[in-house]
Amino acid sequence: MNSKSIRHYLLLNITWIMLCILPLTSQAQGLDFLRSTGKIYTVVVVIAIIFIGLAIYLIRLDNKLTKLENHIKNEQ
Amino acid sequence: MIQKGMWWKLSGIIIFLYVLWGGLTIPLRPGITSITPSSAKTGDTVTLKATGYNTHFASVKKGRAWLKLDSIHAIKSLDWQSTDDNHVSLRFVLPQTLPNASEVFPLHLIIDNETDGAFVHPNALFLSSSIETLSFDAIPWTKHELSQFNDHQGIQFPYRSILNETIRNTFFHVALWFAMFLLLIFGVYYSIQYLRTADYDFDRKASAYTNIAVLYGIFGIVTGSVWAKFTWNTFWTNDVKLNMTAIALLIYLAYIILRGMNYDQDKRARLAAIYNIFAFIALIPLVFVIPRMTDSLHPGNGGNPALGGEDLDHTLRMFFYPSIIALFLIGKWIAELTIRFERVKDYFYLKNT
Repeated sequence: MNSKSIRHYLLLNITWIMLCILPLTSQAQGLDFLRSTGKIYTVVVVIAIIFIGLAIYLIRLDNKLTKLENHIKNEQ
Repeated sequence: MIQKGMWWKLSGIIIFLYVLWGGLTIPLRPGITSITPSSAKTGDTVTLKATGYNTHFASVKKGRAWLKLDSIHAIKSLDWQSTDDNHVSLRFVLPQTLPNASEVFPLHLIIDNETDGAFVHPNALFLSSSIETLSFDAIPWTKHELSQFNDHQGIQFPYRSILNETIRNTFFHVALWFAMFLLLIFGVYYSIQYLRTADYDFDRKASAYTNIAVLYGIFGIVTGSVWAKFTWNTFWTNDVKLNMTAIALLIYLAYIILRGMNYDQDKRARLAAIYNIFAFIALIPLVFVIPRMTDSLHPGNGGNPALGGEDLDHTLRMFFYPSIIALFLIGKWIAELTIRFERVKDYFYLKNT
């Protein structure tokens, strides 16, 4: 896998996160729920976005590592 | 088990746990969410019904309230009747005369009791004159002294109407941007180092740091968008800061694409390094200069103080600065992992060609 396609995946991935999270918070009748108790759930959503985003980035890195490991194994 | 050079990674995690714990468990200061009625005329006896947040009205022994015009003009409430912890009825007898010539007086409600301490709800009641008169008398307004306020106990975050609990996002959304900026400084430093030494390892480092910084920037945009939805009531406004950071992010996305090109490695690295320096130079006016020159909803722009005054008081600082350090260390950790991966990958492919 060359570095171009890796970057391509990264970009695709990032847009995917954005596209997934935004409608989720706006569509579902979750608006009122998110506003309850002094809007504390907005903070929860923010933390969740950071956590999920980092997790996705790490999963991608993990996959890339696995591919490299397989390459090395095949060479030997 | 714990390897050498692990200490800063672990401290990043521990500091972030501290921020999560403190940032989510420390309560907000008491505040008022709504008040009815919102206007009155002179000479009226009004009963203000105030709805509180994090207040303890029911258990209060000595609750007092004032409608304050300025530091010397105020009216004290006659009684304190609370139905539960968050609802209180306050009766005020408004004087017949106004203290000076003005059409409408915005009065601030000050509530004070021994559990919650003293707190203010600005512009609680708008007072206007009931009769056309030219006589003014300030004496009834100066009888009630504002004194002997109680202090709230323990650490509490400031209460802001509209923001409410989302003031905690300071530790996550705002700190992300600061951490992003630190990571970009590292990225541009390694780009300069690459141009000086032509050591390809510096290019890997610059790229890894910039990648994670751009990821942080995207988190910043998305989290800011969600936060804006519940405070400014829209996902995206035409706020300068939003548009300028979006432009800055696009400039950096171009860097990622440039760095990802299949091209002669040395040329690509040199081009990417130069581009990164230019992108960083473009970032500074886009994020720090232009938003300050016009009005903006963000603190620190259009004449608002940012890291001073009441926007960031000492209780928020206790978690805000550690959060920047923690997010930076976590970003640095992820960048190092990417660097090590790229190093191994390059070594492997170089050996096989």
